[in-house]
Amino acid sequence: MKYQDYYKTLGVERDASADDIKKAYRRLARKYHPDVSKEKDAEERFKEVGEAYEVLKDPEKRAAYDNLGSSYQPGQDFRPPPGWEQQYASGQQFNDGGMSEADLAEFLAQMFGGRHAAGGAQFKMRGEDYEAAIDLTLDEANRGTEAELHLQVPEVDAQGRLTRQAKTIRVRIPKGVTDGQRMRVPGKGGPGMNGGPAGALYLSIRLKPHPLFKPHGHDLYIDVPIAPWEAALGTSAEVPTLDGRVRVKIPAGARSGQKLRIAGRGLPKPGNAGAGDLYALLQIAVPQALSDAERGLYERLRDASDFNPRKRWS
Amino acid sequence: MSDFDDELLLDEESRISFVELRELSGLTEVELTELIEFGIFESCSGSGSEAWFSARCLRMARTASRLRSDFDLNLPGMALALTYLDRIAALEQRLRELECMLPSESGDHR
Repeated sequence: MKYQDYYKTLGVERDASADDIKKAYRRLARKYHPDVSKEKDAEERFKEVGEAYEVLKDPEKRAAYDNLGSSYQPGQDFRPPPGWEQQYASGQQFNDGGMSEADLAEFLAQMFGGRHAAGGAQFKMRGEDYEAAIDLTLDEANRGTEAELHLQVPEVDAQGRLTRQAKTIRVRIPKGVTDGQRMRVPGKGGPGMNGGPAGALYLSIRLKPHPLFKPHGHDLYIDVPIAPWEAALGTSAEVPTLDGRVRVKIPAGARSGQKLRIAGRGLPKPGNAGAGDLYALLQIAVPQALSDAERGLYERLRDASDFNPRKRWS
Repeated sequence: MSDFDDELLLDEESRISFVELRELSGLTEVELTELIEFGIFESCSGSGSEAWFSARCLRMARTASRLRSDFDLNLPGMALALTYLDRIAALEQRLRELECMLPSESGDHR
């Protein structure tokens, strides 16, 4: 079993009052709650904080935890001191297998909360829902894909003990999912109890950055650099899409930042409901170094033109 | 959604019933009914226990359920938190859209 320093997790001293522990928990829970936090490891930190509070808020669990000793490092393997189990576990026996596999918090929860459902009420119960995130490429979102997720999930063993197990879950991602979208996959959560149905997997979709396309919902954006003379005179340019190139007419007098819509070339929408659009964002690119001939032509243009882009300031 | 057997995208287009929303979110019937009265969830069709909702509501309802459990929020507190979270989500979406329109390169073309 790995030691966890719950006081350190909550940022309080070992002699902190119950009120201080509650305040520290509330502050950290607000900071790391996955529904409100933007911290990268918010979910993991929130679990750690919740686990620490679950033990330290309960005077009995806290006393048992304190009597484990404080000389361990977080993550260090340890065994409770002699007599500890007899004092706190009400005669429950924990064999080595259970001890080594269980999380400290689960171990304490079992001691004070009794064994998990085995031997308890025999009503049907739906399995636990799992939450996970998956990073997809834009191409995978465009075509749909199958993916394997490797999760650490809580599971009740044959003896009714709650342990963490590595689990591989295979999921099918339909084409046309978008960044930030959530998906419910039934039957991929924890197993049901006493014949109850399995829980569901709630999957958050995240799209990896693409070198060309920026997704927004089912629409895609792409920067299209054009030369100053192309902006002035108009042209037609080949623009990449997710499924090959298309030729786009750029009107004369194009502005930098102008948005041209290429219909139906975004990500597909679910249920054959068409596709989003691709937006070509025109960016006038100015050569950084001019040849003598180019400089001469620009100077002739300057002398011949009466165009004043700052006219409304005069 | 005919039953719970199919994958479900939690978006504006997919639909779930009042009963499904309650069962899958972990909210009680009273909590869900009151959150509807607060205007947090708007039905797409029907009313009361016969109402249908966009599947996006399930995402919010699960958030409501978690906030209630993790922060001991009461219903007005849940409604307020969900309103702000929804507003933040809308602003973030607008921000992403505006970011899409920013040029991603410096303009160094030669």
